[in-house]
Amino acid sequence: MSAPSGSSDLLGRFAVSPARRRKDSLARGSILAATLIALVPLVLIIYYLLLKGLGSWSSSFFTTDPTGNTFFKSSSIGGIKSAILGTVEIVALASVIAVPIGIGVAVWLVEYGRDSWFAHTVRFFVDVLTGVPSIVFGLFIYIVLIVGTGSTYAGYKGAFALTLLMLPVVIRSAEVVLLLVPGALRESALALGAPRWRVIFSIVLPTALPGMVTGVLLAIARAAGETAPLLFTAGATLKTSFGLGSFMNSLPVQIYSDVTSPTASVEHRAWGAALTLVVMILILNLIARVVARRSRLA
Amino acid sequence: MTSPRPTTNVADADPEARSELESSSESTPRLVPPPAPASVPDSERGALESKRGVSVRLEQLRAFYGAAEQVKGLDLEFRPNEVTAIIGPSGCGKSTMVRCINRMHEEIPGARAEGRVMLDDLDVYDSSVDVVAVRRAIGMVFQKPNPFPTMSVFDNVASGLRLTSQRGGDLRGKVEAALRSAGLWGEVSDRLDEPGAGLSGGQQQRLCIARSLAVDPEVILMDEPCSALDPIATLKIEELIAELKRRVTIVIVTHNMQQAARVADRTAFMLDGKLVEVGPTQEIFTNPNDSRTEEYVTGKFG
Amino acid sequence: MSPASSASSESDSSPVPAPADTQGTLPHGHAEGRAHFQAQLRELEEHALGGLDLIVEQLDRVLEALHHQDVELAQMVIADDDRVDGRYLEVHQGILSLLALQAPVAGDLRLVAALLHTIKHIERMGDQCVNIAKMIPLSGHEPPVHEELLEALAKMGAFARSEVVQCKAAFAGRDVGLAEDLVRQDREINRLNRDIFRLAIEIGDDPDTREWAMHMTLVARALERIGDNAVDIGEQVAFVVTGLFREFSDSSRPYGAIPD
Repeated sequence: MSAPSGSSDLLGRFAVSPARRRKDSLARGSILAATLIALVPLVLIIYYLLLKGLGSWSSSFFTTDPTGNTFFKSSSIGGIKSAILGTVEIVALASVIAVPIGIGVAVWLVEYGRDSWFAHTVRFFVDVLTGVPSIVFGLFIYIVLIVGTGSTYAGYKGAFALTLLMLPVVIRSAEVVLLLVPGALRESALALGAPRWRVIFSIVLPTALPGMVTGVLLAIARAAGETAPLLFTAGATLKTSFGLGSFMNSLPVQIYSDVTSPTASVEHRAWGAALTLVVMILILNLIARVVARRSRLA
Repeated sequence: MTSPRPTTNVADADPEARSELESSSESTPRLVPPPAPASVPDSERGALESKRGVSVRLEQLRAFYGAAEQVKGLDLEFRPNEVTAIIGPSGCGKSTMVRCINRMHEEIPGARAEGRVMLDDLDVYDSSVDVVAVRRAIGMVFQKPNPFPTMSVFDNVASGLRLTSQRGGDLRGKVEAALRSAGLWGEVSDRLDEPGAGLSGGQQQRLCIARSLAVDPEVILMDEPCSALDPIATLKIEELIAELKRRVTIVIVTHNMQQAARVADRTAFMLDGKLVEVGPTQEIFTNPNDSRTEEYVTGKFG
Repeated sequence: MSPASSASSESDSSPVPAPADTQGTLPHGHAEGRAHFQAQLRELEEHALGGLDLIVEQLDRVLEALHHQDVELAQMVIADDDRVDGRYLEVHQGILSLLALQAPVAGDLRLVAALLHTIKHIERMGDQCVNIAKMIPLSGHEPPVHEELLEALAKMGAFARSEVVQCKAAFAGRDVGLAEDLVRQDREINRLNRDIFRLAIEIGDDPDTREWAMHMTLVARALERIGDNAVDIGEQVAFVVTGLFREFSDSSRPYGAIPD
């Protein structure tokens, strides 16, 4: 840096100092280490799932109900058909309720409420609800719809609990995506002489669609995996029941009851069911990705 | 897919369908009754024969953002079938003023306007007037070209018609006529189904102009339409403006004085929310009356 | 704050000359914009008007050469016209450059247009001085001396010189009154021109004298043209200030005709 000649002075100004290089390597190293540490449990979970769960998979695993037989080794223990169907039905009902309402609230927040005190209040409470433990939703439904009415478990009550769980998540993610739609688009549509509701339906929502689909699918995936809310609402049963008004089995509940069983094959079934649940969620995620990629915001 | 019917004017593309539109209760009503369609032979550019324009007159217009007054009592007339340019330093209120004309200003939370904006004999701010109808009669082109990203070229141009429930009649014909009027037909006729956002900047802006033209407005407001474009695209749009004024009244806000000089019949100079001077462009740029105008156009004041 | 008046004026009615003071200037108070361009414009104007100084020099010398029949001095004047022509080319180039690069408008544009005309008039004035200088050797080594005629010529010369000086002052000061006053002096020059013509006709029978008198009428004509060019420059001053071009007096009218 103190060389008298011009060119090496220039080089001195532009060369990377050794101290810089060291710091750079150190930083890179630590970040890489952190990443690897974070990946370890993830890899382990997948490994164990596959290791312990794949063994249980068979055609009868998916097509027969659990028999409730846990003692006698000679009889079959059954599969998880009712659990899969139950999860699908309960989650479907929850989605059908939560998604339109959630998107509607998000649309109101972004397009109409905007900066008003009421909108701020709503947002605050939505944020609070996203942090509420899922069991609380289950308890709420339990108290209101089961104890309060003196009736019993039912599939649809489980769906309601999941709805409450999904709502804040859907609202949050839909709001984020709607805010990403450039104001210029709304302006142009308004300037063409479109009424506001038309602008929302024909321009804003289609533009936000990929992002919203992703958000919704992720919310569904999360709801599908919740055990606690279903424990006191949908109850547990072995038989496949298509009617949502009766007790309904679900994968998380099935896993919960199986995993503590002393019978090894039943425990295995739990792993198989867990793997099934993870695969279902994985598929949902993949669908979300594909949808997001197809029509991007320009 | 039927081939597009060669059409001349958007107005007489399909007279029967048009009268259907007029009476359909779904569509937003026209603010100013359309003139009788002229019978003119087909031309290369299609829909460009003259149409009697409307005048726009601002009377004591004031615009507020909350408590702050941005436009302070403006009286200004825009003559029919003429291009009027609004020049002035940043923050003088020219964009705000223009947005009051098609009542877009009030879309901003906390913003309001007072005074009258007369479209011929109709006060646009009258309580009985439907805001949506105002915006159909007064189109707007923005600084940054913004075609709807999820739509194709065709859908973009048709969007104005669809959004205002004017679906009847020859949609394809109207889209073609609008694209011809915007000087874009030749460049996109073979890719009407491609996304609108895939065009170049200048083409996108002309697409936005076509989108506005498709709903057959009486006035078009342009808020610095070329400032995001390269010089060649800018010149194309300036030529387009010179042709469009035969059908519509045009108000163009620009911070580029050379552009105002090239394109406008009359020029108005605004300062601090007030009108300083308005007159034929040639006079403003060779011999303005007010010394403030002189200082601004000669660049002594930025 | 901003100037109190919110006067919006229509440019269709008769124009009011823009005041050259600072009232109503835009309130932001930072340094004048386009300083580089303004400096270039000022330089160009000074260079152009400096041509008028050259003309005064040339005129003084050629009048003296005339008075003393100094052929050498006359030759110098002819040679020095190159300086005037050179200045014309420089100013012309400067104007083209400003128009192309700076796109002047309003007052600046009028100034540039006026400079283009003015430098042309200056170049013509220079040519007229040369024309006078060319007459001097032709007058012969011992020309007849006709006092009255020579006196008239001297007076014309003085008026012409005064007009050149005054038109420069009028332009530099943007003084329309001073510019219009040029007409008064120009009328004197025209009167003297007619007198000289009359004197020349009545000068007698001597062929040498008659030849000399002919040449002197040509000198008078050249001086009269210099006066006209000065008035034309005065008209440019009015154009720069008011934006209107009008002729102060129409030189296409015949001598002595009563304006209608």
